[in-house]
Amino acid sequence: MKGIEEQTYYEILEVSPSATLKEIQRAYERAKETFHSDSLAVYSLFSEGEIHEIRAAIEEAYRVLTDEMLRKKYDQSFLQAPGEQKWEIPPEVQGIPREKEPSLSFTGIAFNVREDTYRGKTLKEIREGMGIDLKTISIETKINMRILEWIEEETFDRLPAMVYLKGFLRAYAKSLDLDPQRVVDGYVRFLAESKKR
Amino acid sequence: MNQTQNDHRKMIWTIGGGKGGSGKSFITANIGVCLSKLGARVILIDADLGGANLHTFLGIFPPALSLSDFIKKRVSRLEEVLIPTDIPNLQLLSGAQDLLNATDAKSVQRRKLLRSIQSLEGDYVLVDLGGGNAVSVLDFFLMSDGGILVVTPEPTAIENTYRFLKSAFYRRLKQSVSSYPVKTLIDQAMDRKNEMGIQNPHDLMKAVRRISKEDAQRIEEEAKTFHPNLILNQARSKKDIEIGFSVRSACQKYFGIHLHYLGYIAYDQDVSHSIRRRRPLVIENSRSRAAQCVIEIAAKLANSHQKSLGIE
Repeated sequence: MKGIEEQTYYEILEVSPSATLKEIQRAYERAKETFHSDSLAVYSLFSEGEIHEIRAAIEEAYRVLTDEMLRKKYDQSFLQAPGEQKWEIPPEVQGIPREKEPSLSFTGIAFNVREDTYRGKTLKEIREGMGIDLKTISIETKINMRILEWIEEETFDRLPAMVYLKGFLRAYAKSLDLDPQRVVDGYVRFLAESKKR
Repeated sequence: MNQTQNDHRKMIWTIGGGKGGSGKSFITANIGVCLSKLGARVILIDADLGGANLHTFLGIFPPALSLSDFIKKRVSRLEEVLIPTDIPNLQLLSGAQDLLNATDAKSVQRRKLLRSIQSLEGDYVLVDLGGGNAVSVLDFFLMSDGGILVVTPEPTAIENTYRFLKSAFYRRLKQSVSSYPVKTLIDQAMDRKNEMGIQNPHDLMKAVRRISKEDAQRIEEEAKTFHPNLILNQARSKKDIEIGFSVRSACQKYFGIHLHYLGYIAYDQDVSHSIRRRRPLVIENSRSRAAQCVIEIAAKLANSHQKSLGIE
C-alpha cells in the first residue's frame, strides 16, 4: 500500500521491470485514459489534487522509461538486482506468457477481426486500439516508418518487392501479438484482389 | 471437468457490489447454469436483501421453502431448504420471501448460516448478495473464496461499487488487527471528513504505523491477499470495456489491491428477452453475444478453481 510518490516508475505504469517499449507505450495510453479528466473510474476515489499528482507521475514515468539511456540509469539507481526484484505479478497474469496477457482477449473480442481480413486498415485499427504508435513499431521492428505507413494506408504501388513485404508484415504482426502467417496470407490475398480490381 | 471425483474442496463465490439493477442475479443464475453444464454440482443461494428473485431467472415459482425457514428454525438443516431445478446438478436455495432476510439475520444466526453454507455438499456455491453495504452483506462477501463485483459502465454504478469495496476493504482490515485504538482508527477513516485528515488507505497506513507496527504489518498482508473480482455488465462499446481496466488501475493506486477483471458482458437485447421468458440466457440463446461473454467468464472461474486444486 504505497503512495504515488513511493511507487517505482514501473509500478506507476503497472508494468514489469522487464517490460518492452511496446508494453510501456500501451500501459501509458491506458493510464492516461484512466486518469483523464472525463474518466468515470477515478473522480469518486481521488481528489482533483491527487489526480493531478498521479498524472504528473505517469508522464514522468513514461518519459524516463521510453528513453533507453534514462531507463538504464533509473534501473541502476532505483531497482534492485534482477533476482531480488520485489515486483509482484498480478495473479491473473501469473503463469501466462507476457504477450498472452489476458487483456488481449478483451480487445480480441472487441475488434472481432476475421482471420482472413488483415488488410492495412485492419492492422492500423488493431494497433491504434492497443494504444501503440507507429514509431514504437518502427523502433521495435526496425522497419522504416514510411514503409509501415504504406502498409497501413494500402499504398500498394510504393510497397517493396513481395519477398521483403512478407518479411515486414511478419515482423509487424509479431509486434502486435498477431499470428504472422495469417497476417501475411490475409494481406497478400487482399493485395492480389485489389490489383485485379 | 470431473472435480467431484478428484477433489471435494468446493468454491464459494459471492456476487455483490453496490447498486441494485446491475445484473447480479442474472449473472449468478447464468454462471451457475454454465458451471453445472460443465458437470460440476452447483448450488445457487439467493441472499438478496432488496428482493429475492433468483428463482425467476431459473423459471421457478416462489418456492415454499426458503432461507427464512432455516433462520426461523422451522427446519434444522440448510440442506432441507435446497430445491432442485430443471437443470441437472443445479440446486437453488431460495431467498426469504418475507421481510426477514439472510443478510438481515442476527449475528449469531448469520454465523450459523455461514457455517452451514460452508458445509453444503457441492463443487460451487454462488451467493447472490443483492445491493447495499450492510455489515451482514459485507461479511458474506468477505467470507467467500472469491467476491465478485458487478458494475455497469455508469458513474452511479461505479461510485456505489467503490463505496462497497471501501466498506468491505476496511472491514477486512479491521478484522485483521488486534489493538482497539487501531480498530477505532479504521472506523473513523471510513468517514472522509474525519478529523485526523485520513483521506485514503495510504494515509490510514501511516496513521496505523504510528500506533502499532504489528498491526501495520497485518494490514499490509491483508491488502496483498485481498483480490476481489470485477465483471463489467452491459458493455456497449470498446470504451465501456476499457472502464473495467481503468477501475482495476484505480483500485491498485487507491487501495493498493489487485482487482481481477474477470471480463465484460455485452449489452444485448436477448438478455431482457430471456428474463421475460424466465429462462437462463445461456440455455435460451447460448449463441447470443451476452451468453458467449457469460460462458467465457464461467470458464475462467472453473479454470481458476482447477488451477487452485492443481488440476490442469
